[in-house]
Amino acid sequence: MLKRPLNFLSADKQSDALLPWVISVMLFLSALALSFALGVNRGLDSWSKGLTSTLTIQVVHSDTIERNRQAEATIKMVRATPGVTSANIMADQYVVSLLSPWLGNMPIGSGLPLPSLIDVTLDDSGDFNLDSLKSRLNVAAPDAALDDHQAWMRQILDLAGILEVLLIAIVVMITLCTITIVIFGCRAGLAAHQDTIEIMHLMGAEDTTIASAFDRRYLQHGLKGGAFGVCIASVVLYGVAYMAARMGQGLLNAALPDLNTVWWVLLLPILSGLLAMITARITIRRALTDMV
Amino acid sequence: MISFENVGMRYDMGGEILRDINFTLDRGSFHFLVGPSGAGKTSLLKLLYLAFRPSRGLVNYFGHDLSNIERSGLPRLRRRIGVVFQDFRLLEHLSAFDNVALPLRIQGAQKKQIAEHVEELLAWVGLQDRMHARPATLSGGEKQRVAIARAIINKPDLLVADEPTGNVDPDMAERLMHLFVELNKIGTTTVVATHDENLVKTVGAPILQLSKGELSHIKARPDKHTTPYGQKAPSYKRTKGEQS
Repeated sequence: MLKRPLNFLSADKQSDALLPWVISVMLFLSALALSFALGVNRGLDSWSKGLTSTLTIQVVHSDTIERNRQAEATIKMVRATPGVTSANIMADQYVVSLLSPWLGNMPIGSGLPLPSLIDVTLDDSGDFNLDSLKSRLNVAAPDAALDDHQAWMRQILDLAGILEVLLIAIVVMITLCTITIVIFGCRAGLAAHQDTIEIMHLMGAEDTTIASAFDRRYLQHGLKGGAFGVCIASVVLYGVAYMAARMGQGLLNAALPDLNTVWWVLLLPILSGLLAMITARITIRRALTDMV
Repeated sequence: MISFENVGMRYDMGGEILRDINFTLDRGSFHFLVGPSGAGKTSLLKLLYLAFRPSRGLVNYFGHDLSNIERSGLPRLRRRIGVVFQDFRLLEHLSAFDNVALPLRIQGAQKKQIAEHVEELLAWVGLQDRMHARPATLSGGEKQRVAIARAIINKPDLLVADEPTGNVDPDMAERLMHLFVELNKIGTTTVVATHDENLVKTVGAPILQLSKGELSHIKARPDKHTTPYGQKAPSYKRTKGEQS
C-alpha cells in the first residue's frame, strides 16, 4: 500500500496557481498537433496505398478509330499482364467531367478529340513489372502513355511528410516548454515555501518527505490542467471532424483526425500529470540538496 | 553527549561569528546560554540544532563526529533535537494540533498515538481549547506554548530553546520552565538561551556565557538547585522512530 505523503504545504501560497491554466493551454495545443500529425500519417498511408495500386493509361490520337483500336489492344494486353486485377476504359462522359474544370461543360461529340483513359488496378501480390508493361505498351499502342502517379504522389507525400514532422516537432517543443514552465513553477513554489521547508528539515524531515508533497501538488496541477486542455481540444476536434464529414471524402479529408483513432488524447491528462510530477520531483530534489 | 572543540563559524565569506568555542553538554545536563545581543547566541543555537555546520573545529553529536555525517544522515540526528525558535516559526496554515503533530508525523507515528500525545501535551500547556486554532488567531504566549509543545512532543534527546518564555506571563513562564526541567530530569539535555536573569537564578543551572563570538566562561551549577515547580509533566512515552 502506498504511503500517503505528508501534506504540510499551504494551499494559500499558490505561487504556482497559474500552472494548471498554462498546462491546459499546452495540452490543448499538443492534443491538436498530435491528432493532426496522426491524421496526416493516416492520410499518407491511405494515399500511398491507393496510388501505388492503380495506374492510368492514356491513349491520345486524333483519329477516333485508331485511338479506339490502340485502346482495345492496350486493355487486352494489360489484362493479360500478371499482377493486374482489372483494366477498364473510362466512359467518355467521365472523361468530359474530368476536363470540365479547364474546358467547361461541353457535350460529347463536340468535335474535340478526347483521350481514351484506361484505369488499371493492381493486386497486392507484387508480381507486377512496370518496366515490362511500358515496353510492351510501346509495341501494342505507340500513342499510349502510362502514368503511375509517382511524380505527383512523391510531391504530395513529401509535403505531407514535412507537415507530419513539423507537427511532431511542435509537440516536442510544447512538451519542452511545459517542462520549463513546471521547473519555473517549482522554483517559485520552493521560494514561497522556503521557510516551511527549512522548518521541516530542522524537524528531521528527509528530502523525499518534502519532495513528495510537491510531487502530489504538481501531479494534481498536471491532471487538472491536462484534463481541461484536452476537453477543449476534444470539442475542437469534434467540430473539425463534423465539418470535414460535411465536406465529403477528399484528399484533405483523408488527412484530418479521425475521432475513432484519436480517443487516446483522453490519456494525455495522465501523461501531463506524470510529466509535471516527474519534472517537479527532479527539480525539487536537486534544489533541496542545496539546502540545510 | 555533545561536544564542541575549537569550533568556529562564519556565514559565507564573512568574518567569524563564533570563535574557538569549547564546551561539552553531558547527557541530561541543563544549561542556560546568555550573552548580550550580537554575541552570537543565535548562531551557536543554529549550530546546536544543526541548521548549519561549523566552519572549523570538531563537533560530536550523540557519539557521532559531525564532519563524518553526510547530509543524508542529518535528519536522523535532527529528530533527536527539539527546537523552540524565538519567533515560533509555526506553520501558519496548520492548526495548533497539526503544528505540534508534525514531528511525530515526520517520524511516521500512528494516527492514534499522535492524537493521544498531542492532545495530552496541548492540554498540559493550557491549550486544550485552542487545538484547532490557527497560529494567526493565537496570542503571542499561545504561539509560544504551541512552539514549545512542538519541540518536545517527541521527547528529544537535546532541547534547544531560544527565549522560550519571552512572550508568556510569569505564571506560564514558570510552568513552561518546569516542563523543561521535568524533561531534563528524564534525560533530555537542555540548552535555553535567555535574557531573563530571574529565570536563570530561579532554575540555577550552569551558564554558557557568550561574548563577542567567544565563550567567555562557563559558570558552574550552584551547589543545589531547587525548582519551585510542583506540577507533573506529561507522561507520554517515546514514539516510533525515536532513538534511545
